[in-house]
Amino acid sequence: MGGYLKVLSSERLKMSRSYIVLLMLISPLIAVLIGLLSSVGGSSMPWITLMMVMSMVHAMLFMPIMSGIFAAFICRYEHSGGGWKQLLVLPVTRTGVYFAKYTVVAVMLAITQLLLAVAVFLVGFIKGIHAPVEWDIMLRSILGGWIACLPLAALQLAMSMMWSSFAAPLALNVTLTIPNILVANSSTFGPFYPWAQPLLASLPGNAMEGGGFGALNLPFENLMITVLGSFVVFFIFGWVYFKMKEV
Amino acid sequence: MSELVIQTRDLNKKYGGRYAVRHLNLEIARGEIYGFLGPNGAGKTTTIRMLLGLIRPTMGSIQMFGKDLKKDKLNILRKIGSLVEYPSNYGHLTAVQNLEAVRRILDVPKSRIDEVLSIVSLTKEAKRPVKGYSLGMKQRLGIATALLGNPELLILDEPTNGLDPEGIHEIRELIRSMPKQHGITVLVSSHLLSEVEQMAGTVGIIREGEMVFQDTISNLQQQASSGFRLVVSEPQEALLLVRGQGYAGQLENGGLKLEQLSDPEVALLVKRLVDNNHAIYRVEEKRQSLEDIFMQVIEQGGFQ
Repeated sequence: MGGYLKVLSSERLKMSRSYIVLLMLISPLIAVLIGLLSSVGGSSMPWITLMMVMSMVHAMLFMPIMSGIFAAFICRYEHSGGGWKQLLVLPVTRTGVYFAKYTVVAVMLAITQLLLAVAVFLVGFIKGIHAPVEWDIMLRSILGGWIACLPLAALQLAMSMMWSSFAAPLALNVTLTIPNILVANSSTFGPFYPWAQPLLASLPGNAMEGGGFGALNLPFENLMITVLGSFVVFFIFGWVYFKMKEV
Repeated sequence: MSELVIQTRDLNKKYGGRYAVRHLNLEIARGEIYGFLGPNGAGKTTTIRMLLGLIRPTMGSIQMFGKDLKKDKLNILRKIGSLVEYPSNYGHLTAVQNLEAVRRILDVPKSRIDEVLSIVSLTKEAKRPVKGYSLGMKQRLGIATALLGNPELLILDEPTNGLDPEGIHEIRELIRSMPKQHGITVLVSSHLLSEVEQMAGTVGIIREGEMVFQDTISNLQQQASSGFRLVVSEPQEALLLVRGQGYAGQLENGGLKLEQLSDPEVALLVKRLVDNNHAIYRVEEKRQSLEDIFMQVIEQGGFQ
Protein backbone atom coordinates (compact mmCIF):
# COMPACT_ATOMS: atom_id res chain seq x y z
CA MET A 1 0.00 0.00 0.00
CA GLY A 2 1.83 3.07 -1.30
CA GLY A 3 5.13 1.86 0.09
CA TYR A 4 3.81 1.52 3.67
CA LEU A 5 6.20 -1.28 4.62
CA LYS A 6 9.16 0.47 3.02
CA VAL A 7 8.42 3.71 4.84
CA LEU A 8 8.04 1.73 8.05
CA SER A 9 11.46 0.19 7.58
CA SER A 10 12.93 3.61 6.87
CA GLU A 11 11.24 5.07 9.97
CA ARG A 12 12.71 2.36 12.11
CA LEU A 13 16.18 3.32 10.98
CA LYS A 14 15.60 7.03 11.64
CA MET A 15 14.20 6.22 15.07
CA SER A 16 16.83 3.73 16.11
CA ARG A 17 19.68 6.22 16.31
CA SER A 18 17.95 8.48 18.79
CA TYR A 19 17.47 8.58 22.54
CA ILE A 20 13.69 8.37 22.26
CA VAL A 21 13.99 4.68 23.03
CA LEU A 22 15.12 5.56 26.55
CA LEU A 23 11.91 7.51 27.15
CA MET A 24 9.96 4.28 26.94
CA LEU A 25 11.77 3.11 30.08
CA ILE A 26 11.09 6.10 32.33
CA SER A 27 7.48 5.47 33.25
CA PRO A 28 7.89 1.71 33.93
CA LEU A 29 10.95 2.47 36.10
CA ILE A 30 9.05 5.03 38.15
CA ALA A 31 6.22 2.52 38.46
CA VAL A 32 8.67 -0.04 39.84
CA LEU A 33 9.74 2.48 42.45
CA ILE A 34 6.15 3.25 43.42
CA GLY A 35 5.34 -0.47 43.53
CA LEU A 36 8.26 -1.30 45.78
CA LEU A 37 7.32 1.47 48.20
CA SER A 38 3.67 0.47 48.40
CA SER A 39 2.22 -2.13 50.70
CA VAL A 40 -0.26 -4.53 49.20
CA GLY A 41 -0.13 -7.11 51.92
CA GLY A 42 -3.61 -6.55 53.34
CA SER A 43 -5.39 -6.67 50.00
CA SER A 44 -7.67 -9.53 49.06
CA MET A 45 -6.56 -9.22 45.45
CA PRO A 46 -2.88 -8.27 45.77
CA TRP A 47 -2.11 -8.41 42.01
CA ILE A 48 -4.93 -6.04 41.10
CA THR A 49 -4.05 -3.66 43.90
CA LEU A 50 -0.40 -3.67 42.97
CA MET A 51 -1.20 -3.04 39.35
CA MET A 52 -3.53 -0.18 40.16
CA VAL A 53 -0.98 1.43 42.42
CA MET A 54 1.68 1.12 39.77
CA SER A 55 -0.37 2.19 36.78
CA MET A 56 -2.02 5.20 38.41
CA VAL A 57 0.66 7.77 37.55
CA HIS A 58 1.58 5.85 34.43
CA ALA A 59 -1.93 5.95 32.96
CA MET A 60 -2.90 9.34 34.30
CA LEU A 61 0.23 11.27 33.33
CA PHE A 62 2.87 9.34 31.44
CA MET A 63 0.83 7.57 28.79
CA PRO A 64 -0.96 10.74 27.58
CA ILE A 65 2.29 12.70 27.69
CA MET A 66 4.21 9.94 25.91
CA SER A 67 1.57 9.82 23.19
CA GLY A 68 2.34 13.47 22.55
CA ILE A 69 6.10 13.08 22.75
CA PHE A 70 6.27 10.10 20.41
CA ALA A 71 3.99 11.82 17.89
CA ALA A 72 5.97 15.05 18.07
CA PHE A 73 9.25 13.20 17.83
CA ILE A 74 8.35 11.27 14.73
CA CYS A 75 7.56 14.55 12.99
CA ARG A 76 10.45 16.52 14.41
CA TYR A 77 13.23 15.27 12.20
CA GLU A 78 11.00 15.78 9.18
CA HIS A 79 10.22 19.37 10.14
CA SER A 80 13.74 20.35 11.11
CA GLY A 81 15.75 18.99 8.23
CA GLY A 82 13.25 19.48 5.43
CA GLY A 83 12.52 15.78 5.63
CA TRP A 84 8.89 16.02 4.53
CA LYS A 85 10.00 17.21 1.11
CA GLN A 86 12.62 14.53 0.78
CA LEU A 87 10.20 11.84 1.90
CA LEU A 88 7.24 12.92 -0.22
CA VAL A 89 9.15 13.25 -3.50
CA LEU A 90 9.95 9.56 -3.20
CA PRO A 91 7.58 7.08 -4.83
CA VAL A 92 5.32 6.77 -1.78
CA THR A 93 1.74 7.87 -1.19
CA ARG A 94 0.83 10.28 1.56
CA THR A 95 -1.46 7.59 2.92
CA GLY A 96 1.46 5.16 3.12
CA VAL A 97 3.56 7.70 5.00
CA TYR A 98 0.76 8.66 7.39
CA PHE A 99 -0.08 5.07 8.24
CA ALA A 100 3.59 4.24 8.78
CA LYS A 101 4.13 7.23 11.06
CA TYR A 102 1.07 6.35 13.08
CA THR A 103 2.14 2.72 13.33
CA VAL A 104 5.48 3.72 14.83
CA VAL A 105 3.77 5.85 17.50
CA ALA A 106 1.30 3.08 18.32
CA VAL A 107 4.05 0.47 18.55
CA MET A 108 6.15 2.63 20.87
CA LEU A 109 3.16 3.11 23.13
CA ALA A 110 2.55 -0.64 23.08
CA ILE A 111 6.15 -1.30 24.10
CA THR A 112 5.86 1.19 26.96
CA GLN A 113 2.66 -0.50 28.13
CA LEU A 114 4.26 -3.91 27.82
CA LEU A 115 7.19 -2.74 29.93
CA LEU A 116 4.74 -1.62 32.59
CA ALA A 117 3.20 -5.08 32.65
CA VAL A 118 6.69 -6.57 33.02
CA ALA A 119 7.33 -4.09 35.85
CA VAL A 120 4.16 -5.14 37.69
CA PHE A 121 5.11 -8.82 37.57
CA LEU A 122 8.67 -8.02 38.56
CA VAL A 123 7.56 -6.07 41.64
CA GLY A 124 5.01 -8.76 42.51
CA PHE A 125 7.75 -11.32 42.28
CA ILE A 126 10.11 -9.29 44.47
CA LYS A 127 7.36 -8.75 47.03
CA GLY A 128 6.59 -12.46 46.95
CA ILE A 129 2.89 -12.27 46.11
CA HIS A 130 1.58 -15.80 46.08
CA ALA A 131 -2.04 -15.19 45.16
CA PRO A 132 -3.06 -16.42 41.69
CA VAL A 133 -2.66 -13.83 38.94
CA GLU A 134 -5.98 -12.31 37.87
CA TRP A 135 -5.26 -12.59 34.16
CA ASP A 136 -8.56 -11.34 32.78
CA ILE A 137 -8.67 -8.09 34.73
CA MET A 138 -4.98 -7.41 34.32
CA LEU A 139 -4.90 -8.10 30.59
CA ARG A 140 -7.94 -5.93 30.12
CA SER A 141 -6.23 -3.12 31.96
CA ILE A 142 -2.94 -3.40 30.04
CA LEU A 143 -4.53 -3.82 26.64
CA GLY A 144 -7.32 -1.32 27.34
CA GLY A 145 -4.83 1.26 28.56
CA TRP A 146 -2.96 0.99 25.29
CA ILE A 147 -6.03 1.10 23.07
CA ALA A 148 -7.29 4.16 24.95
CA CYS A 149 -4.07 5.98 24.01
CA LEU A 150 -4.69 5.50 20.29
CA PRO A 151 -7.20 8.35 19.75
CA LEU A 152 -4.95 10.76 21.59
CA ALA A 153 -1.94 9.55 19.60
CA ALA A 154 -3.85 10.23 16.36
CA LEU A 155 -4.84 13.69 17.57
CA GLN A 156 -1.29 14.49 18.63
CA LEU A 157 0.12 13.18 15.35
CA ALA A 158 -2.19 15.53 13.45
CA MET A 159 -1.12 18.44 15.68
CA SER A 160 2.54 17.63 15.24
CA MET A 161 2.16 17.46 11.46
CA MET A 162 0.44 20.83 11.41
CA TRP A 163 2.86 22.65 13.66
CA SER A 164 6.46 22.67 12.61
CA SER A 165 7.32 23.52 16.21
CA PHE A 166 8.31 20.62 18.42
CA ALA A 167 7.28 22.27 21.67
CA ALA A 168 3.86 23.71 20.82
CA PRO A 169 1.88 20.47 20.50
CA LEU A 170 3.71 19.08 23.53
CA ALA A 171 2.88 22.09 25.68
CA LEU A 172 -0.75 21.81 24.70
CA ASN A 173 -0.69 18.12 25.44
CA VAL A 174 0.78 18.50 28.90
CA THR A 175 -1.60 21.34 29.72
CA LEU A 176 -4.57 19.19 28.83
CA THR A 177 -3.18 16.14 30.63
CA ILE A 178 -2.93 17.85 34.00
CA PRO A 179 -6.68 18.19 34.68
CA ASN A 180 -7.05 14.43 34.14
CA ILE A 181 -7.81 13.51 37.71
CA LEU A 182 -10.58 16.10 37.83
CA VAL A 183 -12.06 15.15 34.48
CA ALA A 184 -11.99 11.48 35.43
CA ASN A 185 -14.32 12.30 38.29
CA SER A 186 -17.04 13.26 35.89
CA SER A 187 -18.88 10.30 34.49
CA THR A 188 -20.44 12.63 31.89
CA PHE A 189 -17.33 14.19 30.38
CA GLY A 190 -14.59 11.81 31.45
CA PRO A 191 -15.06 9.16 28.76
CA PHE A 192 -15.00 11.78 26.00
CA TYR A 193 -11.83 13.46 27.16
CA PRO A 194 -9.00 11.88 25.13
CA TRP A 195 -6.39 12.63 27.80
CA ALA A 196 -8.38 10.82 30.49
CA GLN A 197 -9.25 7.76 28.42
CA PRO A 198 -6.02 5.85 29.22
CA LEU A 199 -6.63 6.31 32.94
CA LEU A 200 -10.25 5.21 32.71
CA ALA A 201 -9.35 2.15 30.70
CA SER A 202 -6.44 1.15 32.91
CA LEU A 203 -8.09 1.28 36.32
CA PRO A 204 -10.72 -1.37 36.77
CA GLY A 205 -13.14 0.63 38.92
CA ASN A 206 -15.44 -2.21 39.83
CA ALA A 207 -12.50 -4.24 41.05
CA MET A 208 -11.32 -1.46 43.34
CA GLU A 209 -11.95 -1.98 46.97
CA GLY A 210 -14.88 0.17 47.98
CA GLY A 211 -15.64 0.79 44.30
CA GLY A 212 -14.08 3.38 41.98
CA PHE A 213 -15.01 6.98 41.57
CA GLY A 214 -16.60 9.08 38.85
CA ALA A 215 -16.14 7.77 35.35
CA LEU A 216 -14.19 4.78 36.62
CA ASN A 217 -17.42 2.95 37.36
CA LEU A 218 -18.69 3.10 33.80
CA PRO A 219 -18.81 -0.19 31.93
CA PHE A 220 -15.58 -0.99 30.09
CA GLU A 221 -17.44 -1.77 26.87
CA ASN A 222 -19.07 1.66 26.75
CA LEU A 223 -15.71 3.30 27.24
CA MET A 224 -14.17 1.27 24.43
CA ILE A 225 -16.96 2.32 22.06
CA THR A 226 -16.26 5.97 22.87
CA VAL A 227 -12.54 5.36 22.42
CA LEU A 228 -13.11 3.73 19.06
CA GLY A 229 -15.36 6.58 17.97
CA SER A 230 -12.84 9.26 18.87
CA PHE A 231 -10.06 7.24 17.26
CA VAL A 232 -11.92 7.14 13.95
CA VAL A 233 -12.59 10.88 14.07
CA PHE A 234 -9.02 11.92 14.93
CA PHE A 235 -7.34 9.41 12.66
CA ILE A 236 -9.38 10.41 9.62
CA PHE A 237 -8.91 14.08 10.44
CA GLY A 238 -5.12 13.68 10.51
CA TRP A 239 -5.13 11.51 7.40
CA VAL A 240 -7.17 13.95 5.33
CA TYR A 241 -5.11 16.86 6.60
CA PHE A 242 -1.86 15.16 5.64
CA LYS A 243 -3.17 14.24 2.19
CA MET A 244 -4.02 17.89 1.51
CA LYS A 245 -0.94 19.39 3.18
CA GLU A 246 1.18 21.68 1.03
CA VAL A 247 4.80 20.73 1.51
CA MET B 1 13.99 18.29 -30.82
CA SER B 2 13.55 14.88 -29.20
CA GLU B 3 10.78 13.82 -26.85
CA LEU B 4 9.79 16.07 -23.98
CA VAL B 5 10.50 14.91 -20.45
CA ILE B 6 8.56 17.73 -18.85
CA GLN B 7 5.70 19.59 -20.43
CA THR B 8 3.36 21.85 -18.52
CA ARG B 9 0.30 23.43 -20.08
CA ASP B 10 -1.09 26.67 -18.75
CA LEU B 11 0.10 25.88 -15.25
CA ASN B 12 -1.24 28.19 -12.54
CA LYS B 13 -0.81 28.39 -8.79
CA LYS B 14 -2.76 30.94 -6.84
CA TYR B 15 -2.18 31.86 -3.21
CA GLY B 16 -4.97 34.01 -1.88
CA GLY B 17 -5.65 36.46 -4.67
CA ARG B 18 -2.11 36.42 -6.04
CA TYR B 19 -0.74 34.21 -8.76
CA ALA B 20 2.62 32.70 -7.77
CA VAL B 21 2.79 30.95 -11.14
CA ARG B 22 0.73 31.97 -14.14
CA HIS B 23 0.15 30.45 -17.60
CA LEU B 24 3.40 28.56 -17.42
CA ASN B 25 4.32 26.37 -20.37
CA LEU B 26 7.53 24.61 -19.56
CA GLU B 27 9.13 22.32 -22.14
CA ILE B 28 12.19 20.26 -21.37
CA ALA B 29 13.59 17.75 -23.83
CA ARG B 30 15.34 14.52 -22.94
CA GLY B 31 19.06 14.71 -22.32
CA GLU B 32 19.33 18.45 -22.00
CA ILE B 33 20.31 20.72 -19.16
CA TYR B 34 17.58 23.25 -18.68
CA GLY B 35 18.37 26.40 -16.74
CA PHE B 36 15.32 27.77 -14.95
CA LEU B 37 16.03 31.39 -14.19
CA GLY B 38 14.34 34.18 -12.36
CA PRO B 39 14.80 36.52 -9.43
CA ASN B 40 13.96 35.34 -5.94
CA GLY B 41 10.22 35.00 -5.48
CA ALA B 42 9.48 34.71 -9.20
CA GLY B 43 7.86 31.31 -8.79
CA LYS B 44 10.72 28.90 -9.52
CA THR B 45 10.40 26.89 -6.33
CA THR B 46 6.60 26.93 -6.54
CA THR B 47 6.85 25.49 -10.06
CA ILE B 48 9.30 22.83 -8.94
CA ARG B 49 7.11 21.85 -5.98
CA MET B 50 4.22 21.39 -8.39
CA LEU B 51 6.37 19.25 -10.69
CA LEU B 52 7.20 17.01 -7.74
CA GLY B 53 3.64 16.74 -6.50
CA LEU B 54 4.40 18.51 -3.22
CA ILE B 55 1.68 21.05 -3.94
CA ARG B 56 -1.30 20.93 -6.27
CA PRO B 57 -1.64 23.31 -9.21
CA THR B 58 -4.66 25.61 -9.07
CA MET B 59 -5.11 25.02 -12.80
CA GLY B 60 -3.30 23.46 -15.73
CA SER B 61 -1.67 20.12 -16.42
CA ILE B 62 1.74 18.57 -15.95
CA GLN B 63 2.98 15.85 -18.26
CA MET B 64 6.19 14.05 -17.41
CA PHE B 65 7.68 11.22 -19.44
CA GLY B 66 4.52 11.50 -21.52
CA LYS B 67 2.26 10.69 -18.57
CA ASP B 68 -0.05 12.81 -16.51
CA LEU B 69 1.38 13.62 -13.08
CA LYS B 70 -1.99 13.43 -11.38
CA LYS B 71 -2.71 9.92 -12.64
CA ASP B 72 0.73 8.35 -12.64
CA LYS B 73 2.39 10.10 -9.74
CA LEU B 74 4.31 7.20 -8.22
CA ASN B 75 5.64 5.89 -11.53
CA ILE B 76 6.79 9.38 -12.46
CA LEU B 77 8.37 10.14 -9.08
CA ARG B 78 10.30 6.89 -9.30
CA LYS B 79 12.21 8.31 -12.28
CA ILE B 80 13.01 11.65 -10.67
CA GLY B 81 15.72 12.68 -8.25
CA SER B 82 15.37 16.09 -6.67
CA LEU B 83 16.80 18.67 -4.35
CA VAL B 84 14.33 21.39 -3.37
CA GLU B 85 15.48 24.69 -1.86
CA TYR B 86 17.83 23.76 0.92
CA PRO B 87 19.11 20.18 1.26
CA SER B 88 17.09 17.80 3.41
CA ASN B 89 18.72 15.45 5.85
CA TYR B 90 18.42 13.82 9.24
CA GLY B 91 21.08 15.49 11.34
CA HIS B 92 21.44 12.71 13.91
CA LEU B 93 22.26 10.16 11.21
CA THR B 94 25.45 9.74 9.21
CA ALA B 95 25.52 10.23 5.45
CA VAL B 96 25.33 6.47 4.94
CA GLN B 97 22.34 6.15 7.27
CA ASN B 98 20.64 9.10 5.61
CA LEU B 99 21.03 7.42 2.25
CA GLU B 100 19.96 4.08 3.70
CA ALA B 101 16.72 5.65 5.01
CA VAL B 102 15.93 6.73 1.46
CA ARG B 103 17.27 3.53 -0.11
CA ARG B 104 14.81 1.42 1.87
CA ILE B 105 12.00 3.26 0.16
CA LEU B 106 13.53 3.29 -3.31
CA ASP B 107 14.49 -0.36 -3.14
CA VAL B 108 17.80 -0.08 -4.98
CA PRO B 109 20.81 -2.30 -4.18
CA LYS B 110 22.94 -1.34 -1.16
CA SER B 111 25.99 -0.89 -3.38
CA ARG B 112 24.29 2.15 -4.86
CA ILE B 113 25.02 4.07 -1.64
CA ASP B 114 28.77 3.80 -2.13
CA GLU B 115 28.38 4.69 -5.77
CA VAL B 116 26.54 7.95 -5.16
CA LEU B 117 28.83 8.87 -2.29
CA SER B 118 31.82 8.56 -4.58
CA ILE B 119 30.08 10.54 -7.35
CA VAL B 120 29.78 13.51 -4.99
CA SER B 121 33.12 12.69 -3.31
CA LEU B 122 31.78 12.25 0.20
CA THR B 123 33.14 8.75 0.74
CA LYS B 124 35.64 9.89 3.35
CA GLU B 125 33.09 11.77 5.46
CA ALA B 126 30.33 9.18 5.09
CA LYS B 127 30.50 7.84 8.64
CA ARG B 128 30.06 11.17 10.43
CA PRO B 129 26.72 12.55 11.67
CA VAL B 130 25.40 15.00 9.12
CA LYS B 131 24.78 17.78 11.62
CA GLY B 132 28.54 18.47 11.64
CA TYR B 133 28.66 18.93 7.87
CA SER B 134 29.36 22.21 6.09
CA LEU B 135 26.66 23.58 3.83
CA GLY B 136 28.59 22.42 0.78
CA MET B 137 28.78 18.87 2.11
CA LYS B 138 25.08 18.85 2.92
CA GLN B 139 24.40 20.08 -0.58
CA ARG B 140 26.49 17.27 -2.02
CA LEU B 141 24.72 14.75 0.18
CA GLY B 142 21.45 16.18 -1.14
CA ILE B 143 22.62 15.56 -4.69
CA ALA B 144 23.78 12.06 -3.73
CA THR B 145 20.30 11.39 -2.34
CA ALA B 146 18.76 12.70 -5.56
CA LEU B 147 20.96 10.34 -7.59
CA LEU B 148 20.31 7.29 -5.41
CA GLY B 149 17.38 5.92 -7.38
CA ASN B 150 19.13 6.09 -10.79
CA PRO B 151 16.82 8.87 -11.94
CA GLU B 152 16.17 9.77 -15.56
CA LEU B 153 15.43 13.33 -14.55
CA LEU B 154 17.21 15.42 -11.96
CA ILE B 155 15.47 18.49 -10.57
CA LEU B 156 17.81 20.76 -8.63
CA ASP B 157 16.50 23.92 -7.04
CA GLU B 158 19.27 26.47 -6.48
CA PRO B 159 21.89 23.76 -5.94
CA THR B 160 24.75 26.23 -5.55
CA ASN B 161 22.97 28.57 -3.16
CA GLY B 162 25.27 29.58 -0.34
CA LEU B 163 28.31 27.70 -1.62
CA ASP B 164 31.82 29.09 -1.97
CA PRO B 165 33.34 29.44 -5.47
CA GLU B 166 35.06 26.09 -5.23
CA GLY B 167 31.85 24.38 -4.19
CA ILE B 168 29.96 26.10 -6.98
CA HIS B 169 32.53 24.89 -9.48
CA GLU B 170 32.35 21.32 -8.19
CA ILE B 171 28.57 21.18 -8.33
CA ARG B 172 28.57 22.74 -11.78
CA GLU B 173 30.99 20.15 -13.12
CA LEU B 174 28.89 17.45 -11.53
CA ILE B 175 25.71 18.71 -13.17
CA ARG B 176 27.45 19.13 -16.49
CA SER B 177 28.55 15.50 -16.46
CA MET B 178 25.05 14.15 -15.84
CA PRO B 179 23.63 14.03 -19.40
CA LYS B 180 26.90 12.78 -20.88
CA GLN B 181 27.85 10.14 -18.34
CA HIS B 182 24.51 9.02 -17.04
CA GLY B 183 22.02 10.10 -19.70
CA ILE B 184 20.14 12.17 -17.17
CA THR B 185 18.00 15.18 -18.06
CA VAL B 186 18.59 18.06 -15.66
CA LEU B 187 16.38 20.94 -14.60
CA VAL B 188 18.42 23.38 -12.58
CA SER B 189 17.04 26.60 -11.19
CA SER B 190 19.01 29.66 -10.23
CA HIS B 191 18.66 33.38 -9.78
CA LEU B 192 22.07 33.91 -11.36
CA LEU B 193 22.41 33.64 -15.10
CA SER B 194 26.19 33.40 -14.91
CA GLU B 195 25.80 30.20 -12.97
CA VAL B 196 23.57 28.53 -15.50
CA GLU B 197 24.98 29.82 -18.78
CA GLN B 198 28.05 27.61 -18.51
CA MET B 199 26.13 24.40 -18.30
CA ALA B 200 22.61 24.84 -19.64
CA GLY B 201 21.63 24.26 -23.26
CA THR B 202 18.22 25.83 -22.88
CA VAL B 203 17.00 28.47 -20.50
CA GLY B 204 13.60 29.53 -19.30
CA ILE B 205 13.31 32.89 -17.61
CA ILE B 206 10.41 33.43 -15.26
CA ARG B 207 9.28 36.74 -13.87
CA GLU B 208 6.40 37.30 -11.47
CA GLY B 209 5.16 33.80 -12.18
CA GLU B 210 5.17 34.12 -15.97
CA MET B 211 7.61 32.72 -18.50
CA VAL B 212 9.17 35.62 -20.37
CA PHE B 213 11.81 33.78 -22.38
CA GLN B 214 12.33 30.14 -23.27
CA ASP B 215 14.90 29.23 -25.88
CA THR B 216 18.42 27.91 -26.35
CA ILE B 217 21.22 29.70 -24.62
CA SER B 218 22.90 30.44 -27.95
CA ASN B 219 19.81 32.29 -29.12
CA LEU B 220 19.91 34.26 -25.92
CA GLN B 221 23.56 35.05 -26.60
CA GLN B 222 22.72 36.14 -30.14
CA GLN B 223 20.39 38.72 -28.70
CA ALA B 224 23.33 39.85 -26.68
CA SER B 225 25.48 40.98 -29.61
CA SER B 226 25.31 44.70 -30.06
CA GLY B 227 27.98 45.69 -32.56
CA PHE B 228 31.71 45.71 -33.19
CA ARG B 229 34.80 47.48 -32.10
CA LEU B 230 37.76 47.97 -34.39
CA VAL B 231 41.14 49.13 -33.16
CA VAL B 232 43.20 50.45 -36.03
CA SER B 233 46.35 52.52 -36.58
CA GLU B 234 44.57 55.66 -37.92
CA PRO B 235 41.08 55.75 -36.51
CA GLN B 236 40.08 59.13 -38.02
CA GLU B 237 40.81 58.11 -41.57
CA ALA B 238 39.43 54.64 -41.04
CA LEU B 239 36.14 56.11 -39.85
CA LEU B 240 35.81 58.10 -43.06
CA LEU B 241 36.44 54.96 -45.05
CA VAL B 242 33.87 53.00 -43.05
CA ARG B 243 31.27 55.69 -43.48
CA GLY B 244 32.10 55.72 -47.18
CA GLN B 245 31.07 52.06 -47.28
CA GLY B 246 27.70 53.02 -45.91
CA TYR B 247 28.06 51.83 -42.33
CA ALA B 248 27.28 53.89 -39.30
CA GLY B 249 30.12 54.26 -36.82
CA GLN B 250 31.83 56.57 -34.40
CA LEU B 251 35.06 57.06 -32.53
CA GLU B 252 35.30 55.64 -29.09
CA ASN B 253 38.37 55.34 -26.85
CA GLY B 254 40.74 55.44 -29.77
CA GLY B 255 38.81 52.73 -31.58
CA LEU B 256 35.86 52.55 -33.90
CA LYS B 257 32.46 51.55 -32.68
CA LEU B 258 30.32 49.97 -35.37
CA GLU B 259 26.80 48.64 -35.62
CA GLN B 260 26.09 44.94 -35.77
CA LEU B 261 27.27 43.36 -39.01
CA SER B 262 27.05 39.98 -40.65
CA ASP B 263 30.18 37.88 -41.03
CA PRO B 264 30.72 38.60 -44.78
CA GLU B 265 30.23 42.30 -44.12
CA VAL B 266 32.89 42.24 -41.44
CA ALA B 267 35.28 40.37 -43.73
CA LEU B 268 34.73 42.83 -46.55
CA LEU B 269 35.20 45.83 -44.30
CA VAL B 270 38.43 44.50 -42.87
CA LYS B 271 39.72 43.76 -46.38
CA ARG B 272 38.95 47.34 -47.47
CA LEU B 273 40.80 48.76 -44.49
CA VAL B 274 43.82 46.55 -45.10
CA ASP B 275 43.83 47.46 -48.78
CA ASN B 276 43.97 51.09 -47.73
CA ASN B 277 47.07 50.43 -45.62
CA HIS B 278 45.40 50.53 -42.23
CA ALA B 279 46.98 48.31 -39.61
CA ILE B 280 44.26 46.42 -37.79
CA TYR B 281 45.10 45.57 -34.22
CA ARG B 282 41.82 44.14 -33.02
CA VAL B 283 38.33 43.22 -34.22
CA GLU B 284 36.03 42.70 -31.26
CA GLU B 285 32.41 41.78 -31.03
CA LYS B 286 30.81 43.94 -28.42
CA ARG B 287 28.66 41.78 -26.25
CA GLN B 288 26.10 42.82 -23.81
CA SER B 289 26.78 40.49 -20.94
CA LEU B 290 24.11 37.88 -20.43
CA GLU B 291 23.55 39.41 -17.06
CA ASP B 292 22.52 42.64 -18.80
CA ILE B 293 20.14 40.77 -21.05
CA PHE B 294 18.76 38.88 -18.13
CA MET B 295 18.05 42.14 -16.36
CA GLN B 296 16.53 43.55 -19.53
CA VAL B 297 14.26 40.54 -19.91
CA ILE B 298 13.24 40.62 -16.31
CA GLU B 299 12.56 44.34 -16.23
CA GLN B 300 10.72 44.57 -19.51
CA GLY B 301 9.07 41.21 -19.41
CA GLY B 302 10.66 39.97 -22.62
CA PHE B 303 12.47 41.22 -25.70
CA GLN B 304 10.58 44.01 -27.36
